[in-house]
Amino acid sequence: MNKYHSILILTLVLITSCTKEVIVDIPEADSKLVIDGRIETGQPPIVLLTRSKYIYEEVNGNLLLEALVSGATVSVSDGTNTVILDEICSQSLPQSSQEAIASFLDIPVEELSTANICFYSTANTSIFGEVGKTYDLKVQFEGNEYTSSTQLLNPVPMDSLYWKEDQEYPDNGYSWLYLSDPPNEYNAYFWECKRINIQGDGSTLDDRYVPTFNPAFDDQFFNGLTFTFAYENPHNFNPDTPLSERGFYQRGDSVAIKFSRIDKAVYEFMEIKYLQLQTGGSPFATPSNLPTNISGGALGVWAGYATYFDTLYCNN
Amino acid sequence: MFIYREIVVFLFSFCSIVTVYSQNFTLSGNVTDKESGETLSDVKVVVPEKNQGTYTNTDGFYSLTLPGGKYFVEFRYLGYENQKIQVELSSSKTVNISLNKEQQVQDFEEVTITGEGRDANVKETQVGVIKLEMEEIKTLPAFLGEVDIIKTLQLMPGVQTASEGTQGFYVRGGGPDQNLVLLDGTNVYNASHLFGFFSVFNVDAIKDVELLKAGIPPKYGGRLSSVLNINSNNGNNQRFGVKGGVGLISSRLTVEGPLVKDKASFLIAGRRTYLDVITKPFMKEDGNFSGTGYYFYDLNLKLNYKLGDKDKIFFSGYYGKDDFTFSTGSENFSVDMPWGNAVASLRWSHLFSDKFFVNTSLSLTDYQFSFISNQDEFQFGLKSGIRDYGASLNFSYLPNPRHKIEFGVDYLYHIFTPVSVSANQDTTSFDVGEGQKLFGHESAVYVSDEFNITEKWSVNGGVRLSTYQHVGPFKRFEEEVVGVQDSSINYPSGEVIASYFFLEPRLSSRYLLNDKSSLKVGWNRNAQYVHLANLSAVSLPTDIWYPTTDVLEPQYGWQSSVGYFRNFHENMFESSVEIYYKEMNNLVEFKEGVLPQDNAKSNTDNLLTQGIGYSAGLEFFFKKNLGQLTGWLGYTLSRTERKFEEIFNNKYFPAKYDRRHDLSVVANYKLNQRFTFGAAFVYATGNAITLPVSWYLHNGDLQFEFQDRNASRMPPYHRLDVSVTFYDKPMKTVVDENTGKEISVKKRFRNSLNLSVYNVYSRQNPFFLYVENGGTSGADSFQLSVRQVSLFPILPSITWNFQF
Repeated sequence: MNKYHSILILTLVLITSCTKEVIVDIPEADSKLVIDGRIETGQPPIVLLTRSKYIYEEVNGNLLLEALVSGATVSVSDGTNTVILDEICSQSLPQSSQEAIASFLDIPVEELSTANICFYSTANTSIFGEVGKTYDLKVQFEGNEYTSSTQLLNPVPMDSLYWKEDQEYPDNGYSWLYLSDPPNEYNAYFWECKRINIQGDGSTLDDRYVPTFNPAFDDQFFNGLTFTFAYENPHNFNPDTPLSERGFYQRGDSVAIKFSRIDKAVYEFMEIKYLQLQTGGSPFATPSNLPTNISGGALGVWAGYATYFDTLYCNN
Repeated sequence: MFIYREIVVFLFSFCSIVTVYSQNFTLSGNVTDKESGETLSDVKVVVPEKNQGTYTNTDGFYSLTLPGGKYFVEFRYLGYENQKIQVELSSSKTVNISLNKEQQVQDFEEVTITGEGRDANVKETQVGVIKLEMEEIKTLPAFLGEVDIIKTLQLMPGVQTASEGTQGFYVRGGGPDQNLVLLDGTNVYNASHLFGFFSVFNVDAIKDVELLKAGIPPKYGGRLSSVLNINSNNGNNQRFGVKGGVGLISSRLTVEGPLVKDKASFLIAGRRTYLDVITKPFMKEDGNFSGTGYYFYDLNLKLNYKLGDKDKIFFSGYYGKDDFTFSTGSENFSVDMPWGNAVASLRWSHLFSDKFFVNTSLSLTDYQFSFISNQDEFQFGLKSGIRDYGASLNFSYLPNPRHKIEFGVDYLYHIFTPVSVSANQDTTSFDVGEGQKLFGHESAVYVSDEFNITEKWSVNGGVRLSTYQHVGPFKRFEEEVVGVQDSSINYPSGEVIASYFFLEPRLSSRYLLNDKSSLKVGWNRNAQYVHLANLSAVSLPTDIWYPTTDVLEPQYGWQSSVGYFRNFHENMFESSVEIYYKEMNNLVEFKEGVLPQDNAKSNTDNLLTQGIGYSAGLEFFFKKNLGQLTGWLGYTLSRTERKFEEIFNNKYFPAKYDRRHDLSVVANYKLNQRFTFGAAFVYATGNAITLPVSWYLHNGDLQFEFQDRNASRMPPYHRLDVSVTFYDKPMKTVVDENTGKEISVKKRFRNSLNLSVYNVYSRQNPFFLYVENGGTSGADSFQLSVRQVSLFPILPSITWNFQF
């Protein structure tokens, strides 16, 4: 369906003569609290609090830092344990958790120490993500209370992963996946990846997991079926990457895949999020707000990821 | 039914009382064009000494009932010479009239004489009516050389364009689905080509066009806002003729002629674009868009046969198809998107007597859209369509000159395929649910009387009783609940799932203040059983028609309208002011946050929500009918708002086509017999649009938050188009064989050249707006901006037309 719309857009672009900036009156709106929370199997909960900004507001400096808020009380409960999270800043992170936080904030690991970004997390292992549990989030900030709940469902293993060389660009290709979707239950998935080829300095080629361009899908159309499909390489998509390599994995790459199961509310958030990122303000989509699973008037999502890891070697 | 019967009884008894008084006779007959034999509708037939008159109907038939005696009867029609005859009525008589086309206007005096027939706007009972003159619109500037009746209508007050260059039109705040578009009496669903840029109506095949904005007569139903009545030419029954045109992107050819002289004739008209043929040589065979192309074609066929003095049979057919293909060589990706309409109708017109006649019609209309894409081994298909089978009976009874009674029955059987999706990968088929068909019966009975109560006061009133039944087979999916498997109910074939009916009273009335001015009022209540839900901000062939079901209720509404009409200077100028208020219920929109794919394994109506709306407006119209310079000025001031429980917290928001101001100025200047200049200027308030009010970050990605629906406005739309048409000399000199003298005769082969320039000052008009996501989270300074996409800059075009 997305492809179908993009074709229409493309058609219009083909016959379109030009675009230009215009000044349009947009009524100013109140700023809202944005909660970006995540809990993964075996990992501590992480919650980042920011504020939304008026569309025409000019921001100088780092966007994330400018939007950041602090001074909230954040707690997570699994029904038996309730843990109040600590406000932790990126400059004081132990090396062991740097990659996870860099991935969560979507910034390179080395920027963690330059921009001091503070978020809420804990070292208390009793609240680390466990499959089968439901996690309740409570955020108290400026006299308001925001609550949410997410589940870590049984992850679904992939049948197999393979790399297929592109017909036009030798030694380049997409990652392919065989998946048997379990019947009789709702399943939604989320795909993140990083290349782990060891570099000269001992580090890996990519420093953190990054989602692909459309990483979330559910089994609405293939419940209980076995099928295969491709995912591109999101790390290799810079404008200066040559077309022959863009979005591809190269022969010899080793790719770590984090394939998570998410619950329905989280999927619905992700579905609209990535649709919005792809369609922008196109006239072919209705303006859709991201459906949050947080009550109390905040934006964002409290998301549980039941992870399954696998590695792909691109050399068949 | 009870009310219906009462009204019929009332009207009939009333008429019979009137007819008892004196010995009356009927004068009736057909009015045709002398040269082509084409029937002429709306010809004014007047008996000046009795101050009585009538108009011919769509088949050119008139009927006047008068007391016995000797009369002069005049026939007046625009662009034709008036004809005056004397008749002695001692029994009922049939008099057929053929009118001569007016010769080229020589001086001003003749012009004023021709003006006599031009008082229809003041004298007609109908309020809110627009009639287009086909000859007039052919000299107006044409977009890419394609003369277009819908685009000309969009220049009239109360009629608005959906978006740049498109066919979608809004009448008095009603949606594009609220217009009943009839081609020879049969409904056409998506009346456009090329994503809406061109009309499906080929001007060479069209005889007359009429748009009713208010006081809609009871014989029309099924739509809330307007009726667009398009009648095609019957074809010349005197001699063969060919008409055609060669334009930049398409060509047209029309052939017409008698099958049996004076009895039967035919007309075939065809059009095809050649964008695909022209661009092919410029596309590399292995290039990026090698398989990309677009074309459309359409065909009109009209046949008519006069069985005798009392019976005529008409066949009208239209078939049109668009095909868009797209492919990229490198990514193994291709798309094929064909869509099109087929419309056919068979009509039998029978006269029981010179006062009582009936039209019996059978019709078929079919709209199909499909989309097939292939990427590597993945295939995706989507189909959508509508098919209607219709039958109708329309009786007209003209007991005396004071009454024109119409009554009849309409029936439509609808088959809708809102959307049917298939997806395959190699041999694996994805489970996207079965494509559902929906079935419905739409029927109506109606009666109306156009009654001239006094010389000054006339009323056209009546009532329509319409019903709709949603019938099986049908599978109803209950709205899903998180964590619970969807449940569904199966209805067997023929079972009535839901049933609705509406009583639709209609009224139009005119009071002549004097010979030059009148006051008119109109009131109508209408019901609508089919809906068009569009997900996007622009009208596309992908917009899905959906019928009334057990969940989706019929739209209904009422409108009242008052107008003052005044002509000046022997009808050289006509003017009007109309004010209207319209209320609409059960309007349809998609719920917030709905995606097209949510449609699979559910009913589309589960994704829709219904609400209310209103529109109020004031329309000014000023037209100069005669002289070298003709043209009009139309201005509309209006407000249109909607309210939905599930959208924007049940608050009123402006409809996207809410236009505060809408102005059109159209001018035609006839320099001489060889040159005509045309110009059109439009100005409209920008469309209402929903833009994000704030942004925020999620996992490093910039996301938008929308707030109030349609709270912002696009920049205003304005544009100037100009044209010039060159005609060849109408006469040629030949040497008379008998006398040896040079004489001037009319040329049989005529041709003209039209040069049009669209958007003369190349205004960048908004097509849509978007927020540019230009900044990155690491940048030093960050600010978002709103950008506008425009479609058409200045576009010159040339079209050569011929006729012989």
